[in-house]
Amino acid sequence: MPSRTCSRDFPGTVEAASDAESWVASQASVLGLGDEAEFAIGLCLEELFLNAVQHGHANRASISVSAEPDGVTVEFADDGEPFDPTLAPAKRINGPTDDFEIGGYGAGLMQKFSRRMSYRRFEGMNRLVLEFDAGRNADAGPDNLSAT
Amino acid sequence: MDMKVIQADNEITHVVLDGRFDIQGAQEVDSRFDELAKSSKALVVDLAKVSFLASLGIRTLMLSAKTLIRGGGEMVVCGANENVEKVLRTTGFNEVAGIYPDYESAARTLQEGLAAFSSKKA
Repeated sequence: MPSRTCSRDFPGTVEAASDAESWVASQASVLGLGDEAEFAIGLCLEELFLNAVQHGHANRASISVSAEPDGVTVEFADDGEPFDPTLAPAKRINGPTDDFEIGGYGAGLMQKFSRRMSYRRFEGMNRLVLEFDAGRNADAGPDNLSAT
Repeated sequence: MDMKVIQADNEITHVVLDGRFDIQGAQEVDSRFDELAKSSKALVVDLAKVSFLASLGIRTLMLSAKTLIRGGGEMVVCGANENVEKVLRTTGFNEVAGIYPDYESAARTLQEGLAAFSSKKA
């Protein structure tokens, strides 16, 4: 089965992060992604987009999703400050307490929901590649779609 | 995301969410959750109709759970699908808010906790 790719650029705003989530959800059937892969990709993209915009002060981000026979590859690139999420600790609440932190759980979630993550800083951009297992739907759409 | 609040006679507030608990969903329910956490003693958050949960959704739940616990109350969740439950357990949210399969089992556990608290006070 040939690979299928969808890609799109987004401005660096929280509103665009929400648009990116809706876009990925709308592309899931085109790419033939199963529910589990769609969930995992949506979760990771929300985390990456919010990190890039709120902490990295990115002005733009681009997302590319490729469905291949052995899984799904997502590349997330942003022009924010350098940040390697593969090095961030996987935080979780340990034990009953009222003294837990509200944020900072994203790295652990991305590690749990993706199969593999790799990061590089290239040409002034953070470039994170995430791999996912993919249950695929049989009625996937045409090859190599793109939108900007 | 739709949010329905059912106030039961037994001091338990039942919150039913319906939709995606994503950025937009969290923004839609944040302030109502905050108010509920400040005014309730026992909150059951029903996630049976929630298809997606990510960073901002879990943040809303954690903020409310923290407010409730610090005010002497308790939050539990119920009905989460497999992926939503995986998010809750990966963050350790289940350490501060119990996870139950359905509203009945969640409410029963909260009711027992409220009864024990009342008898201890008396």
